[in-house]
Amino acid sequence: MKRIVPLLALCGLLAFAPRPAQGADWKMDPAGSKLEFIATFEKTAAPGEFREFDARLRFDPDKPAGSRLDVTVKVTSADMNVADVNKEIRGKDWFDYAAFPQAEFRSTDLRRIEGNRYVARGTLLLKGVKQPVEVPFSWTASAGGAVMEGELTVKRGAFGIGTGEWAETNVIGADVKVKFKVKLRKAG
Amino acid sequence: MLRNASDSWGAPAKLFHWVMAALILAQIALGLMAANWRLSPTKIELFFWHKSTGMLILALVALRLLWRLANPTPLLPPGMAAWERAAARLSHLLLYALMIALPVTGWIVNSASNVPFRIFWLIPLPAIVAPDEPTADLVAWVHGGLAALLALVLVAHIGAALRHHFVKRDTVLERMLPGAWRAP
Repeated sequence: MKRIVPLLALCGLLAFAPRPAQGADWKMDPAGSKLEFIATFEKTAAPGEFREFDARLRFDPDKPAGSRLDVTVKVTSADMNVADVNKEIRGKDWFDYAAFPQAEFRSTDLRRIEGNRYVARGTLLLKGVKQPVEVPFSWTASAGGAVMEGELTVKRGAFGIGTGEWAETNVIGADVKVKFKVKLRKAG
Repeated sequence: MLRNASDSWGAPAKLFHWVMAALILAQIALGLMAANWRLSPTKIELFFWHKSTGMLILALVALRLLWRLANPTPLLPPGMAAWERAAARLSHLLLYALMIALPVTGWIVNSASNVPFRIFWLIPLPAIVAPDEPTADLVAWVHGGLAALLALVLVAHIGAALRHHFVKRDTVLERMLPGAWRAP
């Protein structure tokens, strides 16, 4: 009886001790996922897509604190639908495939805005440049999985995408819209 | 004064002629520069203006043909040899055909190469063929060939107009000039 009191006290302490929310681990289903980027060309939308990327997520939609999001993008899988453009964007002035074949987004700060809308604040590493980026997304749960979807605008100049004479933004606009749809299923 | 007569061009016909003459000369220069410029924002700008001007020319030639069909065409001066008449007819026919074929082949190249484009930043140009690189390359080559043919026909057209004026001393050139000139 004497020994059981401290044990109960310990249990009580453990029950109320603050601990990080342990959300579920999610893996991306590439077949249902899409990562698009829409540049502008003479003030006209010029759509492109990164065909290969991966997202890993630890996330509880009800307790987003303690979540994390890691996205890796194979930059060399970029496809802008025009053969000549695809040749050009490989070069040093644009994505520089040889030196920077991969881009990454990491966030450990995911918050709910309202309802099913969230924002992931993190760091985007692209072409060797790290910049803070906010990625807003919606979360839609479905049977055995979920879909996160969203879009944001990135300034290409901040990452040195289009250097030298291409830095001017009359012909190729400064803003690039990034749109994503990531289909997730629970890992493990 | 608006409508053509058997011996004179009305103002709309003259306006079509000279506006399109200026556009076509600018268009040839833009096309040559765009094709040969090294890849740079300037090259893209040159193509943008070349494509926009081309679509403007295509719209204008449609209106011009309607106007031409709705009006009498001034007669050629008497005394021209049969070959001269045939050459005049053929060169005019070629000019109209090329004013249509050049923008249309350009449109095909733009569609096949899948480059997004809005005419003068305003009107999105719909694709008329599916994206396909070999098609784009082939039709671009045809487009260049037609442009060379146009340059040849223009030299003949301008040469013939000058010959009418300075050698044959008839009114063929003068009656296309702007202003209130009428056959005496």
